[in-house]
Amino acid sequence: MDHNISLKLLAIGYDPAIMQVVARLLNSHAGWEGVTALTSEEGLEKISSGKYDAVLLCVGVSTADEGIFRQAVATHHPSTIVIRHYGGGSGLLENELRAALDHHQ
Amino acid sequence: MVQYIFHKADSRGHDHHDWLDSRKTFSFGDYYNPRRMGFGALRVLNDDTLPAGKGFGLHPHDNMEIISIPLKGSLRHEDSAGNKAVAAAGTIQVMHAGSGLFHSEYNNSETEVAEFLQIWVYPEELNTPPRYTLGALQQDADRNRLHTFIAPDKEDGIYIRKDVWFSTGYFDHGTAFTYPVHQPGNGVYAFVIEGRFAVDGKELSARDGLGISATSGIEVKTLSDDARLLIMEVPMNIHP
Repeated sequence: MDHNISLKLLAIGYDPAIMQVVARLLNSHAGWEGVTALTSEEGLEKISSGKYDAVLLCVGVSTADEGIFRQAVATHHPSTIVIRHYGGGSGLLENELRAALDHHQ
Repeated sequence: MVQYIFHKADSRGHDHHDWLDSRKTFSFGDYYNPRRMGFGALRVLNDDTLPAGKGFGLHPHDNMEIISIPLKGSLRHEDSAGNKAVAAAGTIQVMHAGSGLFHSEYNNSETEVAEFLQIWVYPEELNTPPRYTLGALQQDADRNRLHTFIAPDKEDGIYIRKDVWFSTGYFDHGTAFTYPVHQPGNGVYAFVIEGRFAVDGKELSARDGLGISATSGIEVKTLSDDARLLIMEVPMNIHP
């Protein structure tokens, strides 16, 4: 994967303080544009109305919600990658994205 | 058939900052190696050194079991759940990030470096309440046997998930033992903290790691004095 590839990213998580950090980390990366959704409703709305390279499922998103988001992505934008992000804006964030995108190519 | 994956100490990722020197067995932060994304539920094994007074400022985590094993000096922990503690060599700190919290970890000394292992294990459940535990490890004097400090049974150690056991011990040259896998299907990751060992006949030196899967147990022989081994038994699937 090109380290400086342009990516449009949606991060869905329900803890505003943690998601603020996730957004800051995503947008600090050259070429990455990250937006957040802080509720399931907002997440579904953004999935249906926008096109993202990857959707990250973050803090608070249950396995039930994950299934709903994956279904919505499959319906609206099947080429979008869905990633479960662990750790909360941690040292895993970039790794998870790179691994998923490498695997997708 | 038993499978092995060997991670030599000098093959690890390395980050050096004025506030942190970190050797990473698995991909983390700026170190990315698609063949080093963890070993089963064991995702992070960082070998960190903090200069005097330096550390990790307040930052968030969720949904990860974060285990800190101080090897030298001590860490000063604070988190948004109100926990404040100092974890010194001889203790273990376990932070279940669960539904999310903010924390900081600083070298508690203004004059000496602090060295610690930072280990992350995927949780068995998502979004459960955070908790923090500071426990004791066995002392150097109680040698030549493994001491389990993380286990599903609280009588045997700190709980992180129902299928994870961590054990460590100090060993004299020539000491040999068998580590039986507690749960069929689990893998074992052996990490040499100090000294030299042979694990299933494979020689390991300080800070080498060996992952063993599809095994019912491993044979360990100590090849040097003052040797210290960490054994992490984890499920090979991230989720139970």
